[in-house]
Amino acid sequence: MSTTVNAAENLSLQASANGSRRWSPSFATVLKWILAIGIAIVAVFPIWWMFNVVFSEPGVPISINPRLYPTSLSAGLNNILIIFTETDYLRAYYVSVMYTLLTIAGILLFSSMAAFEFAQFQFPGKSLLFGIVMLSLMVPTAVTIIPTYLLTVQLGWLNTMQGLVVPGLASAFGLFMLIQFMKSIPAEMIEAARLDGANHFQIYWHVALPLSKNALVTLAILTFMNTWGNYIWPLIVAPSPHMYTVGQVVGLFNAPYSHTTVDIVMTANLLAAVPPLIFFLIFQRQIVEGIAHSGTKG
Amino acid sequence: MNKVIAMSSLQIKNATKAYGTVEVLNDINLDINSGEFVVFVGPSGCGKSTLLRMISGLEDITAGEMRLDDRVINDIDPAKRGIAMVFQSYALYPHLTVFENMAFSLTMARAPMAERKQKVERAAEILRLTHLLDRRPAQLSGGQKQRVAIGRAIVRQPKIFLFDEPLSNLDAELRVQMRAELIELHSRLRATMIYVTHDQVEAMTLADKIVVLNGGKIQQVGRPLDLYDDPDNKFVAGFIGTPTMNFLSGQVTDVAHDHIIVAGLGGDPKIPPLPIPFTGFDPSIRNIELGIRPEHATIASEPSTAAGLPARVTLVEELGDLTSVHTVLANGERLVAQNHGRRHQGTVETSVHIATDKALVFDTSGKRLRPAST
Repeated sequence: MSTTVNAAENLSLQASANGSRRWSPSFATVLKWILAIGIAIVAVFPIWWMFNVVFSEPGVPISINPRLYPTSLSAGLNNILIIFTETDYLRAYYVSVMYTLLTIAGILLFSSMAAFEFAQFQFPGKSLLFGIVMLSLMVPTAVTIIPTYLLTVQLGWLNTMQGLVVPGLASAFGLFMLIQFMKSIPAEMIEAARLDGANHFQIYWHVALPLSKNALVTLAILTFMNTWGNYIWPLIVAPSPHMYTVGQVVGLFNAPYSHTTVDIVMTANLLAAVPPLIFFLIFQRQIVEGIAHSGTKG
Repeated sequence: MNKVIAMSSLQIKNATKAYGTVEVLNDINLDINSGEFVVFVGPSGCGKSTLLRMISGLEDITAGEMRLDDRVINDIDPAKRGIAMVFQSYALYPHLTVFENMAFSLTMARAPMAERKQKVERAAEILRLTHLLDRRPAQLSGGQKQRVAIGRAIVRQPKIFLFDEPLSNLDAELRVQMRAELIELHSRLRATMIYVTHDQVEAMTLADKIVVLNGGKIQQVGRPLDLYDDPDNKFVAGFIGTPTMNFLSGQVTDVAHDHIIVAGLGGDPKIPPLPIPFTGFDPSIRNIELGIRPEHATIASEPSTAAGLPARVTLVEELGDLTSVHTVLANGERLVAQNHGRRHQGTVETSVHIATDKALVFDTSGKRLRPAST
């Protein structure tokens, strides 16, 4: 019995020793934590402020005695109701969701098919073609946006979903990322499938795609973040109100001559931020891994 | 009754494989009979895997002809040749279960589910995999993965099974076990199997027929013990057998009807010339090499006796039942002798007796010189 007590004492002593070591951080660690917390506050505060303004009686958060926490659920719900009933926000949601989903599906499909060929097979002009694709990675969007716009106009795709989606489907970044991943698929696995009677498409569909699942998820997440937040392309290619994306609608609410009150503007902003927020909370781990894996800032 | 596999024969005529100007296989001629277990063996880079891949259709044939059951298959798609291959890395699809892996070829052919189930279950029964059908490859041991890879081949009911160094990734104990299982499988399926390995022990234990390759050429084809006892050249003699055959250079000083006298063995002038039994030796040949298997060389119990070759012991490998004694002769040639059941006494300067009636004779180009009577 006494042995047990001694052992327990030893353990608690060790624990306190460990504990004291853990709780005596160096000055540099304290500084790092302060800096990190400071950055986190700067990042989180606008979102929190948005909640605060939306879920408060109009004027309260910006009164002489401002409150930093929401005070009225009903006011917030009322704001959301106004946005959905009195504006075409739901339509914009639909356009944005379709634009994002179709872009993700298209980029995954085309990038993976091209990456499969580049990564696993030899064909004439492969290096040259790959070089050209990679070169397009180095050209800023601002340079290509006008020629792409002109081409889209010539195709008669202004104010159409295909006009929004199709020009963005050739993703050099997605191709590059998937090539790197698909290169790691053992050639023997492809050969085994070939001997098993799988044709070229079946090898791609049944072997290469499932084996690239992680890379595809990463690419889908990065594409979502890029597309949902894309403002310039929808702005120039879909100027008609019936094709407005959420980003454009939010832009209208925030325009200098917009006569909407600040709580309605904030509600529009909040609603625009909700899908990426939910998306981020669900795929947090994959997003961080994806960014680390692909070396991009998203 | 157990008609799982069709039997087929393969003929390879003047097959050549070149990558640009580099020829990796040169004028390969080979007949593989139905139901045979043929092993391609040779050192790394000898072209054995390339030959196997040419048979599978994964590599084109630069020149020559390949016939499977009298049908030329040179330009036939790999999937349509009726050949199944087991890869060194198993090449199992990690996202599919064992069942799905084994049924993959049937899925690609859009076979009905009942047929898939029946064929996979039959193969799984043969390979004792029935309880593992729901698992994924990552949940299997090395031996089980190998069996799944073989199962995937069985399900296809191929005319010929190809194995590309399938046991290389297994540990020594499991390799011995899998070898036994492969032999059992072959006798059960009575299928034509072609197996590639660089391990001559594997070749000796598995094969009905061994094909020894080196430098892109077939060196010799034959039954394992025929290659061991009666090699065509120095390469085959050296490659088959562990430890490898000893080669001692010498000069023929006299040629009699049934023997030759060889001088200069070991490089010590004090060693008297040795008579080597040989009928019908070509007297124009002077320089030869004698091939002596380690089991035909023994360490003398007393050092430097007149009948033996003086030698210095450099390494002793005690394996329990036998002892391999590595020695170096006066001219620097190395010679390994084996003592069966007798432990080495620790002497460094010793002499080695060779069984001259077992010695094989090679000319300086490495070609075997055979006595006239054989």
